[in-house]
Amino acid sequence: MKVFDIALKDLTRSFRSTFAVVFMLGVPLLVTGMFYFMFGNIASEGGFSLPKTKVVIANLDEGGPKFQVNPKNIPGGKKADTMGDLIVSILQSEDMADLIEVALVTSAESARTAVDSQNAQVAIIIPANFSHQFADVDGEAVIEFYQDPTLTIGPAIMRAILNRFMDGMAGVKIAVNVFLDEADSSKYVFAGQVVQLYLKDSLAESDDPAEELLDVRTPANGQNNEAEESQNLMLNIIGSIMGGMMVFYAYFTGASTAQSILREEEEHTLPRLFTTPTSQATILTGKFLSVFMTVFVQVIVLLIAARLIFGIQWGGILSVALMAAGIIFSASSFGIFLNSFLKNSKQGGVLFGGGLTVTGMMGMIKIFAMNSAIANKMGDTISLLVPQGWAIRGLMQSMNGEPTVSVLITLLASLVWSVTFFVIGVWRFNRRYV
Amino acid sequence: MSDVPAIEVLDLQKSFGENHAVQGVSFDVKQGEIFSLLGPNGAGKTTTISMLSCLLRPNNGDARVMGHSIRSDSTGVKSVLGVVPQDIALYEDLTARENLSFWGKMYGLRGSKLKLRVDEVLDVIGLRDRANERVGKYSGGMKRRVNIGVALLHKPKVIYMDEPTVGIDPQSRRNILDSVVKLKDEGMTVLYTTHYMEEAQELSDHIGIMDHGKLIACGTGEELVKLVGQQTRIDLTLNGDGSNVMQMWQAIDGVSRVSAEDGLVSVLVADSNLVLPHLFEAAAQLSIRITSVDIREPNLEAVFLHLTGRALRD
Repeated sequence: MKVFDIALKDLTRSFRSTFAVVFMLGVPLLVTGMFYFMFGNIASEGGFSLPKTKVVIANLDEGGPKFQVNPKNIPGGKKADTMGDLIVSILQSEDMADLIEVALVTSAESARTAVDSQNAQVAIIIPANFSHQFADVDGEAVIEFYQDPTLTIGPAIMRAILNRFMDGMAGVKIAVNVFLDEADSSKYVFAGQVVQLYLKDSLAESDDPAEELLDVRTPANGQNNEAEESQNLMLNIIGSIMGGMMVFYAYFTGASTAQSILREEEEHTLPRLFTTPTSQATILTGKFLSVFMTVFVQVIVLLIAARLIFGIQWGGILSVALMAAGIIFSASSFGIFLNSFLKNSKQGGVLFGGGLTVTGMMGMIKIFAMNSAIANKMGDTISLLVPQGWAIRGLMQSMNGEPTVSVLITLLASLVWSVTFFVIGVWRFNRRYV
Repeated sequence: MSDVPAIEVLDLQKSFGENHAVQGVSFDVKQGEIFSLLGPNGAGKTTTISMLSCLLRPNNGDARVMGHSIRSDSTGVKSVLGVVPQDIALYEDLTARENLSFWGKMYGLRGSKLKLRVDEVLDVIGLRDRANERVGKYSGGMKRRVNIGVALLHKPKVIYMDEPTVGIDPQSRRNILDSVVKLKDEGMTVLYTTHYMEEAQELSDHIGIMDHGKLIACGTGEELVKLVGQQTRIDLTLNGDGSNVMQMWQAIDGVSRVSAEDGLVSVLVADSNLVLPHLFEAAAQLSIRITSVDIREPNLEAVFLHLTGRALRD
C-alpha cells in the first residue's frame, strides 16, 4: 500500500509541474504538428501538398479497334487513337498536374534510362499490343511500371493512379466485350463511344480525382498484396514522426522521473522517509513504480491524442498494447539505470542532454532514413544498438500491420534491455542507500 | 510512565574516514523530559541524532529508544519516533494537507484516523486556514511549523528535533519553543539539538554539551553552571594589543581564567564587583584603553568556555 502511496505522490508531483506536462505531452505533439502542417498544409488548404512525381512515358501502343473517342470527353481533352493515348491523355490532364509531371519518350529503353539516371522517378511503358490486347476477349493488357527502388512516396502515388485507371479499364473492357458480342460488325465503330461513356461516368463520380487517388492505400511491406491493406501514406509518415517523438520523449520522462530519487535526497525528504517505519525496499519500489506510471500515462495520452488530432493509425489493439509496453518498460528502466550512476541531480543535465539525445537520435535514425532503401537498412542496424531503436521497431511493426508475433518478439528484445537496465539500476540504488 | 529511559545511549561511535564525528557518546534521557544536546556546528549533534534515527549505522556502541535497539530493531525504533530534521524536508509542490496526509500514511495512518490527525496537527501548528496552499508558497517559519507537524502525526513517544529554529524569525522561533514545551506537557520525550545556549537553558530538563564528537558535560542547567564554580564572565574590548595586559589580569586575585578570541577578551571571575577595578587599573598601567565591558552572570556559555576554552558561538 505504501508503495502506491509513494508512487501516487510522485505522479501527482510530476503532473502538477507545468514544465513537465509541456515537456512530456506538449512538445511531442507540437513537433509532430509542425511536421503535419509542413507536409500536409492541412490548415490552409484542407489537403496534402506533395512534391510532384516525375514520370516518363513510352507510349508504344500501335492501336486496335478504332474507338472514335470525342476528345471533349477525355480528361485532358486530347485526341486519343489508342488506349495508350488515352492513358497518356489522362496522366497529362489538369487533374493530375498537382501530383505528377509527365514527359514522353519514344522507346522503352529511353524510359528506363531516365529512371536509372534519376531524371525521373517512374517510367511507364505501354507496349505496342496494348490496345489490341484490350480489345481481345482473351487478351491481357499489361503496362510495365519501372521505378527507382530507393524511393517510396512518388512511385507509390503513381502506382495508385495506374491501379485506379486499370481497375476502370477492366470495367470498360467488360462493357466493350459485351457490346462486341451483342452488336453486328457494322456497329463495331461505336465501341469507342462505349469506352468514352464509361470513362465519362467513371471520372465524373469524383470531384477531385487526385484526392481520391491519395486515398488508395499503398501496399504493406513493399508487397503488392491488396489483402494486407496499408495505411495512408502521409499519415504513415506523420505517424512515424509522432512515434519517434513519443519514444524520444518517453525516455526523457523516464530519466527525469527517476531523477526524483536524487532530488528527494537533495530535498531531504528521502532521508526523512528512511526515518519512518517504511522499509528501504518499499520506498525504492514506490519510487521505481512512479517512473513506470508516469511514462505509462505519457505514452497512453500521446497515443490517444495523436489518434484524435492527427488520425494516426497505430495498428491492432494487441500490437499497440505490446508496443506501448515495450516503450514504457524500456524507457523507465533506462531512466533508473542512468540515474543510478549520478551522484546528484546536477549531473543529470549533462547525461540527459548528451546520452539521451545521442541514443534517442540513433534510435530514430530508421525514421529519418525511411525514404531511402539503403539508408533505411543501415539505419535499422544502427538503431538496434540502443533500446530506443527496439521501441521504435515495435512501433513501426505495429503501424505497418505486421503480425502480432513480430511485435511480440520485438517486445521480448525490449524486455531483455529493460530487465538488464532495471536490475543494474536497482542494485546500484540499493547499495547506495543501504 | 515507567522508569525505563526513553533513550539510552551507550558508547556511540561514528567515523567518516579519518573524521571521527562521534567518539564514544553515552547518555540517558528519561521519559517525558526535554534533553538538549548543545554544541557548536560540527560538534557531532546531527550525526548522533542520525544514528538514533537509524539513518546512520554506528561503528560501535548501541542505543535503545523506548527499549528498541537501533542496531537490531530499527523498525521498532522508527515506530515510536518522530523526527524533525534540521533542513526542511517537505514536498514544496504539495499543499500542507497533502504533505501531512502523505507522511501520515508513511507512519501507517489510514482513512478517517489519518484525516482526523491531519486536522489536529494543522490546528497544533496553526495552519488550518492555509492548509490547501502549496508549501512552496509558505514563509520559512510556516515551513518549519509544517516540518514539526509531520513528526507529530503518529503521536510518537519520542521526538527528535534537530536545530528546528535555525534561520527563522523571532516570532516563529517563539512559537516553536512554546510548542516544544507543550509536547513535553503532553508526555512526549524530546531530544533537542541546538547551538543556541538560551534555547537549551530555557527548555531543557537535562543538557548534554558536545564538542569535537565528544559529550564533554551532562546534567541539569544548574549542575552544569556549578562546573564553572558560579563564576561570572567579563567580556572586554581593548584598543590595542592585549597580550601583556592579559598576563597582568591572570595574576589578579579572584581571576580564574583569561582568554581572547577575535579581539574580545573573556575573564572568568568569582566576583565582578571586586575584580573589575583591578582590571581597569592594570590596563591603565600599560596605557591600554578598555572600550567596552560586558558582565555575564554564570550560564551555559560560560560553562562551554570553561570546558573548551572557546566561546560556544564559534
